[in-house]
Amino acid sequence: MPKELVVDPTSTRRRTEIEFKPIPVHAYDRSLAEERKLRGDAALTEILRHMMVVREFESMIASFKATGSYRGIEYAYRGPAHLSIGQEAAAVGQAVSLEPGDQIFGSHRSHGEFIAKGMSAFAKMPKEDVADLMANHRQGRLAETVDAHLDSVGTSNAEAFLLFGLLAEIFMTQLGFNGGMGGSMHAFYAPVGAYPNNAIVGASAGLATGAALRRKLSRDGGICVANIGDGSTGCGPVMEAMNFASMAQFRQLWQAPFDGGLPVLFFFTNNFYAMGGQTSGETMGWDRLSRIGAGVNQEQMHAETVDGTDPLAVADAVARKRQLLAQRKGPALLDVECYRISGHSTTDANAYRDRDEIRLWKQHDAIELMAGKLINAGLLRDDQVEDMKADTVRTIEAVTSAAVNPNIAPPVDVGSNPTLIGKFMFNDTSQPVPSGISTFTHPKGEVAAMRALARKARNGRDEEGNLHSPLRAVTLRDGLAEAIVHHLEHDPLLIAYGEECREWGGAFGVHRGLSEVLPHNRLFNSPISEAAIVATAIGHALAGGRSLVELMYCDFIGRAGDEIFNQLAKWHSMSAGELTVPVVLRASVGSKYGAQHSQDWTGLITHIPGLKAIYPATPFDAKGLMASALSSNDPVVAFESQRLYDQVELFADRVPEEYYRIPIGEPDVKRTGEHITILTFGPSLYKAVAAADELARDGISVEIIDARSLVPFNYDPVLTSIKKTGHLLIVTEASERGSFAMTVAATASRYGFADLKSPPRVLGSPNWIVPGAEMESTYFPQAHDIIDVVAGEILPDGRNRRRGVRNWDDLALARAGL
Amino acid sequence: MATRIVVPQLGNEITEAEVTEFHVAVGDTVVEGDAVATITTTKMAVEIETPENGEIASVDVEEGSIVKIGTTLCTLS
Repeated sequence: MPKELVVDPTSTRRRTEIEFKPIPVHAYDRSLAEERKLRGDAALTEILRHMMVVREFESMIASFKATGSYRGIEYAYRGPAHLSIGQEAAAVGQAVSLEPGDQIFGSHRSHGEFIAKGMSAFAKMPKEDVADLMANHRQGRLAETVDAHLDSVGTSNAEAFLLFGLLAEIFMTQLGFNGGMGGSMHAFYAPVGAYPNNAIVGASAGLATGAALRRKLSRDGGICVANIGDGSTGCGPVMEAMNFASMAQFRQLWQAPFDGGLPVLFFFTNNFYAMGGQTSGETMGWDRLSRIGAGVNQEQMHAETVDGTDPLAVADAVARKRQLLAQRKGPALLDVECYRISGHSTTDANAYRDRDEIRLWKQHDAIELMAGKLINAGLLRDDQVEDMKADTVRTIEAVTSAAVNPNIAPPVDVGSNPTLIGKFMFNDTSQPVPSGISTFTHPKGEVAAMRALARKARNGRDEEGNLHSPLRAVTLRDGLAEAIVHHLEHDPLLIAYGEECREWGGAFGVHRGLSEVLPHNRLFNSPISEAAIVATAIGHALAGGRSLVELMYCDFIGRAGDEIFNQLAKWHSMSAGELTVPVVLRASVGSKYGAQHSQDWTGLITHIPGLKAIYPATPFDAKGLMASALSSNDPVVAFESQRLYDQVELFADRVPEEYYRIPIGEPDVKRTGEHITILTFGPSLYKAVAAADELARDGISVEIIDARSLVPFNYDPVLTSIKKTGHLLIVTEASERGSFAMTVAATASRYGFADLKSPPRVLGSPNWIVPGAEMESTYFPQAHDIIDVVAGEILPDGRNRRRGVRNWDDLALARAGL
Repeated sequence: MATRIVVPQLGNEITEAEVTEFHVAVGDTVVEGDAVATITTTKMAVEIETPENGEIASVDVEEGSIVKIGTTLCTLS
């Protein structure tokens, strides 16, 4: 039960001090002799070689961008080149201390981390596993190409496979790891633990934290690494992610075996510059980045500053942090100081830094330092180092020759297949109905809220036709709850969280009672961190879980803008379908509280390709659509009108007790009619019904279609209805400009033109702020507004009976920006 | 003077609630802050507390009934 942690005023008000412990800076002091003993000479030599591979790979891209050629190979590379030349020790040092199953989430500058992780993982995996992975990747086409054209390149086929797959992706060709849908800043190859690189600064912090949540729940011993930069410490979502990862509940409330800290390492590759802003001294106040850890939790995130020019110092630090994470003492933070000798991108003229500074750092070049160390120790001779460099150049040259050759690495052929990219937008599969044994800690019958629900009438009216009280009949809230309860009970991979999701039952009570049957590791309260809520839900899903998260009001979508628009919507398509993102994001549409709590923002979601969206208005539809959303292997945003949570069922005969699904994307005819079609979104359904009742008295027969879903959207019921009625009115509570209703109107005009007797009309909210409760009836379309439009404009009967206030000139308002 | 304990306003759109359980009976002595009843709205279950010390003089509605906001649940003497 809740209320486990009492805030005791006696201890809270006691005078005390907060103590911080010193944060180590460059504490590594192991001698090379000790390293030789620890790792063996071959491993040390490999570290140097891996750094060389990363350097040469990126030098090749730099050369293409600067000159259009590399070692005589001509290629017009048009994509981005955010290179990490100078930072190789950070990437390779990290990878050395990670296991193949550990997952890294990168940044826009993560070619090096990808290569290092891939090479390290392949080296550590059994050879037959590597062969299987290669043979099974995208029907084996990449492996076949490597066998045919790069057979004797590099130290192994696996290495050629890795480098060629990455370069083919950077050049956005079919054979790229992500089918050419990712490119330079988004390439990844999950089987080696190289998860998406991310072009949004700091975005991987939240994704890695969510993936770590999955690792923690699966108890597989793996860790997740957020590879982000010093500049990302200025990004709110990074701070949110670190706070989320450090939540005290993991240790204080989560029960064994799920108790303990999250296995996530925030690995800040600190190159001192955030593009052109100097982080230490100009755009940040932390002086040393690791200081941030001290403010996050009592363990100070085990923060350390590490010498990122020394791969052995980095490897040592990562190994120690990995051990802490395995002991469930996460999260951890590493500030890995290194220097980006290359520019931010190829348009970087170095206006923000002194040439002498670059020269100084070149004297601390990671590869030269490591090579010198090995030579001095007698581990390698000068000529062997030169041979290693030459071999590396030959490998990269061969891989490059193949990747620029369209006969070997064919471009993505959108010319002959123009909707190809569209095919990657959705997975369009669903999981089977969850039917495993109950995961609840107690029988549902022991939960008062669930007992009360079981006693409720399944229809909205009694036998005499009187409306049931929502306390006595299944409501829209109950419909949602029944689908959610079924999935949470029978699908152990599904977790649910958000603000107030446990004891409070969610701000609107949909989760009520669930905290009595689900432990914290399945249902928990999150901080007020919308970005972290959504980002971690995505990470959890990318790592094999399923996530149900809640944003209290859809007005808060802005707080999770990047996470919804650039992450949730995109990882399925940017991976050419390799990754699935089974996340349901619930967002209520409010009212009463004015401009920041009452907005219908469906249009923002429908505008972004890659998100499915539902907006049920009846208990029957809510239950069936939520079941489909939770089953979907695609991300679904579920809009829920706060005004409808207490709505009982008025259309279906009853809301079945049994589990069922309603396909997402199918509008539903709620009432048949002859003279005009009214398509409604969300609660507008009930305004349309009231209007239709009144219009019927005047002999106007209205057909009402409830959209129910927004994306996908099957136009057939609408077009079929138009064929009969010849008129279409679309009613929405969203501001009209840019709304999904406008999209539907335009499409219906185009495809129903021959059947239409009047242009489709949208009746939505005006393009100004939502006023408070007192003025709402002049803002959201009411039944009388619908009647004004139908009887006054679309099917005028000559009588002037206008009752609403919407007699305004839309063109004049548009001129004024309204 | 008798004090009435009523169903409070629980949100702008809540007009009624179910009296799920009485935790007191006539003659019981209560101390300020004691829960006298649990009522349930469509959204939440709420414990209704006594605002002052006293003795329960009457219980005014039945368990399981649906009551409007403002209804007297019980009276203190």
